[in-house]
Amino acid sequence: MRYLMTTGRNSRQPDEALFADMGAFIEEMTAAGILITTGGLEPGGVRMTSRGDEITVTDGPFVEAKEEILGFALVEVSSHEEALEVARRFRRIVGDGDSVLHRVTG
Amino acid sequence: MTTTRGGGDGDTGLHARVDAVWKLESARIVAALVRMVHDVGLAEELAQDALVAALEQWPASGVPDNPGAWLTAVAKRRAVDHLRRAERAERAHGALAYADEDADETDGAGDGTGDEDADVLRLMFLSCHPALRTEQRPALVLRLLGGLRTDEIARAFLVDEATVARRIADAKRTLAEAGAAFAMPDRDELAARLSSVLEVVYLVFNEGYAATSGQDLLRPDLCGQALRLGHRLAALAPGEPEVHGLVALMELAASRAAARTGPAGEPVPLHEQDRGRWDPVHVRRGFTAMLRARDLGGSPGPYVLQAAIAVCHAQARRPEDTDWTAIATLYDRLAALLPTPVVALNRAVAVGRAHGPAAGLALVDALRDDPRLRDYHLLPGVRADLLDRLGRGEEARREYARAAALTRNDAERAVLAARAAGHAAPAGAMLEDRAAAFLAGLDAPAARAYGQTLRRLVRGLGGTTPAAALTADDVARVVTASWDRAAAATWNRHRAAVRSFAAWLEHPELAAGLERRRVEAPPAPPVDPARVAALCDDPALPVRERALWSLLHESGAPVGVVLALDVDDLDRDDRATHDHTVVWRSRTARLLDALLAGRTRGPVFLADRRPGPARARTGADRCPDTGRTRLSYERAEYLFKQATGGEATLRRLRVRA
Repeated sequence: MRYLMTTGRNSRQPDEALFADMGAFIEEMTAAGILITTGGLEPGGVRMTSRGDEITVTDGPFVEAKEEILGFALVEVSSHEEALEVARRFRRIVGDGDSVLHRVTG
Repeated sequence: MTTTRGGGDGDTGLHARVDAVWKLESARIVAALVRMVHDVGLAEELAQDALVAALEQWPASGVPDNPGAWLTAVAKRRAVDHLRRAERAERAHGALAYADEDADETDGAGDGTGDEDADVLRLMFLSCHPALRTEQRPALVLRLLGGLRTDEIARAFLVDEATVARRIADAKRTLAEAGAAFAMPDRDELAARLSSVLEVVYLVFNEGYAATSGQDLLRPDLCGQALRLGHRLAALAPGEPEVHGLVALMELAASRAAARTGPAGEPVPLHEQDRGRWDPVHVRRGFTAMLRARDLGGSPGPYVLQAAIAVCHAQARRPEDTDWTAIATLYDRLAALLPTPVVALNRAVAVGRAHGPAAGLALVDALRDDPRLRDYHLLPGVRADLLDRLGRGEEARREYARAAALTRNDAERAVLAARAAGHAAPAGAMLEDRAAAFLAGLDAPAARAYGQTLRRLVRGLGGTTPAAALTADDVARVVTASWDRAAAATWNRHRAAVRSFAAWLEHPELAAGLERRRVEAPPAPPVDPARVAALCDDPALPVRERALWSLLHESGAPVGVVLALDVDDLDRDDRATHDHTVVWRSRTARLLDALLAGRTRGPVFLADRRPGPARARTGADRCPDTGRTRLSYERAEYLFKQATGGEATLRRLRVRA
């Protein structure tokens, strides 16, 4: 089963040490066949809305800075608990902040 | 510590969490413990103790920040306690103290060093040790490296829990008795040992792939387990192209998992699959692994070749874009490395696509005499498709019907039956009806005796073949494929039944191709060398049997002499016994190396189990290290008969000059 984990702003400063910790974590998860893909997201974004025949495009930002999604990871796990365990390990690395997990269906 | 709001807390939640931690960490923990205590069974017990301690302490203390490190530390502490106790006991007996520098390693927390990786790799080699039986290895791998519980493994393989528990316990004992070293195999041995690991991982994958999905929601996903093991192995042994080849092969097969069954559970052949449902994540990972294998270069092995074939399919956006010429070439090379009938059949399919149905049919027809494919539904299935494309509708109809009768999958049977029904059957009585009428007219003992022959004949010729369309050649082919290697008396019994049926049909000439055989015939001919090669290279068979057969075949020495060999009779570098009465070649040398890993004395070929105390033999017929006795002639003969479907005896392995 697959889970998408999205993450907002985290408290730990993005310095060399963080990159090294994240690099080791990503390498381990990839080698284990758990991490499928991961990436950061540019703040702001573009919203597209369709109403009837009309499609409107609006430039962001749309939400408060603390709710903005700034990163994601798609993981392949064998249980819901395992997804949580992987996310816990991530949260221990990046400091204070929030992540949201969704099971990918279909 | 993390707190949980909402559902999932309490004992059940904790158990589920501990289980998830365990599945992520157990391989590293158990591997480190095996290095410390040199015993797989003990290491796993110590690790389980740590797990029990976690379930006792965590509800009160909360789950530690790094639960994996906590489990590792507790398990290692228990291992150190154990080693100290053992040391004291030995001192008390006046024996030399056994100290291990690893015992002082109590830091606990996993630090992700290369040593840890090496431990896990060694544990993989150990779990797939040649001393273990084929069915023990996957269970042990899933248990030790996947962290699966006994009940999960039982569910995965659809066997009962007691069987799995016994398999694992036997495997641990075998490893202890064989004195299987927790050392990295040396260079000469590495290739054989690695291929044994790959074989087990692929077996786990195929077990999961063949399973019908959705029947049991709690059935662990064996494909997922195998993919994880494969990725892990690729990270541990990045210089081995075959490891990346296996990962690529599994990823690409996994990419088609959703597309390969239709709504009713019927298998959808590759060229009819909805390619939009192929999972791009798996495809991409498969391509990445394949590129790694290619970058390493060298002559491609069986996994790389099979993966390359899968890549050809994955690259074709539409079925008609498939590069069948490339695939046919890859199958040519694969058939040379893996001369199995199933590879040969797949090769025929590829050739049929690349160079036309007539070319494919020529290859398929050559396989019709292979007794191993006698009841394999894909042989008539493939043949039917080729005949159909050649416009030979009536023959195609019969083969579709035969394939439908042979398959065990209901949905597939329906598809094949529908294809058969697409061609109108000619008028006249069908073979199956005529055979039933013939048997109905016999008294019970005769019907029983002839029934066996006729059932085989009907299955081989196709029940819906019009009786009038039978030819003597077809009858001879089926009878030969079925009983050519049987004893002369057996052959004659089946021949009599066929002759009787042919006479009843008023076509005695149908049995004309079948010669009566002399019962006191000269000694049976040697087993076909290609057959011997296929048996000796069949990774599904135990290495002990393969080594014995290969040695008999290559040396031509009498069976009794070979079974009487002891390890110290052999000069393995010289590929001969010290007295040069038994000489062998490279295949035997390779198999002997795998068989004798770490053993220096005792009989070369050992029985599976230790004899009970009452039957304990002493002296030359017992291995002083493992307590197991010499493999008996009777048992060896039985095992060979089993492997060859009861046709051949060990004596026939010897090549006569």
